[in-house]
Amino acid sequence: MRGKEIQTKDKHIQNLAKIVGGVQSILYKKEDLLAYDCDGFTIHRHLPKAVVFPKNTQEVAEVVKYCNENNLPFLARGAGTGLSGGAIPLNGEVIISLVRMKRLLSVDLENRRAVVEPGFVNLKLTQSISDKGYYYAPDPSSQYCCTIGGNVAENAGGAHCLKYGVTTNHILGLEVVLPNGEIIEIGKNGIPDQPGYDLLGLLTGSEGTLGIVTKITVRILKNPEAKQTVLAYFDKVSDASQAVSDIISEGIVPAALEMMDKTAIEAVEAAAFPVGHPRDIEALLLIEVDGISAGIDEQIHQILRVCKNRNVREVKVAQDEKERERWWANRKTGFGAMGAISPDYLVQDGVIPRSKLPEVLERIKKISEKYGLRIANIFHAGDGNLHPLVLFDAKKPGETEKALAAGSECLKVCADVGGSITGEHGVGIEKREEMRFIFNDEEIMAQTNIRDVFNPKNLLNAGKLFPTPGRCVEVKKERKEVITS
Amino acid sequence: MVATELLTELKSILPETQMEAGESEGHPLGNGGRLIVYPKSEEEIVNILKYANQSGKKISVIGGGTKRGFGGLTESADLLLSLANYKGIVEHTVGDMTITVKPGTPFQELQAYLAEHHQKISLDPAWPEYATIGGVIAANDSGPKRFGYGSARDIVIGMRVVYPNGTVIRTGGKVVKNVAGYDMNKLFIGSMGTLGVISEVSMKLRPLPKYESLILVSFEEGNLEEEIRSFVVRILDSMLEPTSLELLSPSLSERLTGQKRYTLAISFEDVESSVHYQEDFVKRIQPSKTKMTILQQKEAQSFWNQFYKIGPNGLQHTENKETQAALKIGVINLDVLKVIKESQLIQDSNNLLIEAHGGLGHGLCQVYLKGASEDILSAIQDLRDFVTQLGGYLVVKHLPLALRQKVDVWGEKPSYFFLLEGIKSRIDPNRILNHKRFVGGI
Repeated sequence: MRGKEIQTKDKHIQNLAKIVGGVQSILYKKEDLLAYDCDGFTIHRHLPKAVVFPKNTQEVAEVVKYCNENNLPFLARGAGTGLSGGAIPLNGEVIISLVRMKRLLSVDLENRRAVVEPGFVNLKLTQSISDKGYYYAPDPSSQYCCTIGGNVAENAGGAHCLKYGVTTNHILGLEVVLPNGEIIEIGKNGIPDQPGYDLLGLLTGSEGTLGIVTKITVRILKNPEAKQTVLAYFDKVSDASQAVSDIISEGIVPAALEMMDKTAIEAVEAAAFPVGHPRDIEALLLIEVDGISAGIDEQIHQILRVCKNRNVREVKVAQDEKERERWWANRKTGFGAMGAISPDYLVQDGVIPRSKLPEVLERIKKISEKYGLRIANIFHAGDGNLHPLVLFDAKKPGETEKALAAGSECLKVCADVGGSITGEHGVGIEKREEMRFIFNDEEIMAQTNIRDVFNPKNLLNAGKLFPTPGRCVEVKKERKEVITS
Repeated sequence: MVATELLTELKSILPETQMEAGESEGHPLGNGGRLIVYPKSEEEIVNILKYANQSGKKISVIGGGTKRGFGGLTESADLLLSLANYKGIVEHTVGDMTITVKPGTPFQELQAYLAEHHQKISLDPAWPEYATIGGVIAANDSGPKRFGYGSARDIVIGMRVVYPNGTVIRTGGKVVKNVAGYDMNKLFIGSMGTLGVISEVSMKLRPLPKYESLILVSFEEGNLEEEIRSFVVRILDSMLEPTSLELLSPSLSERLTGQKRYTLAISFEDVESSVHYQEDFVKRIQPSKTKMTILQQKEAQSFWNQFYKIGPNGLQHTENKETQAALKIGVINLDVLKVIKESQLIQDSNNLLIEAHGGLGHGLCQVYLKGASEDILSAIQDLRDFVTQLGGYLVVKHLPLALRQKVDVWGEKPSYFFLLEGIKSRIDPNRILNHKRFVGGI
């Protein structure tokens, strides 16, 4: 271990160390801080001033109070899996890491709720209650390591949110440390519709700019009685997307409805969890239906019929849980799989009205041709959340900028067809400028006005989420400098 | 200022045919205006708000009027902004299962239109014939089926909101999944019109269920709380997927079913085979000393149609020697049992009629009281004390103005009230909209 005493004359670091209980709960040396200079968005990097590891709410509140009084910028961090740069210390922040606050505090099956600390890992919750037949619904692909605190900050989604909703639909209560160090409880006792504005809804998805969540009451659900999964291969993207629309118009609400295009299939088949998908198809659909066993067969039958009507090449139902899990592992590791066919990749996160899919894919193809970069598409087709993955090689001069520009253009297309620039990854640093694709200055100001109520000194996670008003040209320039430096 | 002067000033921004003088005698529920204005476009809403904001006028906002007795301490603002004539569907993308509507559209009209496309908005508010979508969302109304489908915050995907200074803000979007910026939709849902005037709402839709049924299980006297509780826990811990799990007090049950017994209303909506399969399961675990009735399809629907009309309707308020009140109570899910029981006890010890129901899967109860004013006020206090001990809250959803001035409609201010205050002051610094209608006099 490191020395038992703080080896710096920086009085802030000495004081912060005292608050969190000494040298074992703080990092401040450059070599230790390097691991915290970015999160899942690796294009921007900046060193924090220090990283502290509080053990409880009180310590978080004291650290925050100290930072606030001394005008030190600070931010909260969970597992650091965020894909838009929300936890990157742009201003040399003090990072408040919540990974030591990782307890499951209580489970109340009868009232269908659990209370967790923010550093508790998403998948662990389901694992802790699955023997009783319960689970926690939001399932981002990183659920084996991402924390529920981070999920709240980003309002994380996942493959199964089509039927069950995203994080905000499952949060009943929060304990929050405000940017001045005050501790408040919203959604008291996890009871819905507390009198007053819906701060719970506002905090969730605020990307760590309004407060630091230190305790979370979540809704848990009973496992569905039955589950069936279908895999369908199509020779034409248009047939696959038509099949998606047909399934929805049959009145079926699938638990998940995923699509991958040819390039994405090439990647997942070259990576760790190949399924044996044919390489020459244009699109595949992974469809899951769950619910009461007596109703499932009928729905599966309808889905198979729809696929056949849309010229499916091959369609099959998972024969057992093992096969289902293989299909899902193949899909859920889809982003990482890009590493098997490209040195670097950039994930985008647009949302489109489902019906515009063929048009949007066509336009993305043109963007790919324009920049000479391959773009794979992984798509939560049921809710219109499209993940174009721009493949590039950061070692080739100029290619990172090209990839960023191509990604941004994909989002422009999503915005142009009436969609959004992010469905589940958040704005962070990455998409600050793209906010202008969907909001005007007044609408952005309406949001920063709310931020100012909670975070008047803007010390908490500053520089995220919003473009700087009237300074967009400068911001773009600054961004370029960071990338090329 | 009297109505005629206001009218003269407003003539330049609104045709005279869209204005009328307010109730001269005042309205027993309050929340009126000296001049009633009926905008027919967003631009007209913008102009009215700008005018009021610049000239220091106060505005009350109204849709169908069913919630007129919900909050508010003034009899009459300067203007009563009625959205009743600003209605209709702006855009319905059938394939995307999204709809955008104007706020004055009556809820039932919307559902009837959507039913032609085998779709619906998955909310079940009170008085759907009169309540407008804008009002349902501004007051965050929900019904028993919230257990299965969630509430307004789960279905609203975007809005256009006119701010008091006349700026129009878009929140969210028209897609069903969206995390760009703060989730501003949430701010306006349930805000009682104190932040802005909703001029458009976009919602995600669900398919109409292919089949539905409703099981009514009524419990004979005995150790009710334990018996109902263990039956409910068994249902919750099973694979069943009820869309409602609502407990009715004996007095309410008597009105709806003729049986003066604690009754559980369990509804199922799915494909027919699944619905019957779930009914069979419930039959197998039916507790002894209970009666079970199963209503299929149209019968179930007509039960619910009656159900949505049980509370007081602000639109049909008549002066009566009996006072009516409605309360919304939130507790931890299974504590609903205690609240329903307590309300029955309070009825028996006071000279009141109290009808109550609550969802054991979501923790919200509605309590309706009828009787003499003093008795109602003391019953509200008793219930509030009881609920506070359970860690819950009580909000008065309907009460004549004179009594609202004597009771705290929203209960105590939360510790973080300064945040609510801060939000209000940023958006409506001149406090022109629904002044003092919300928590802590916001």
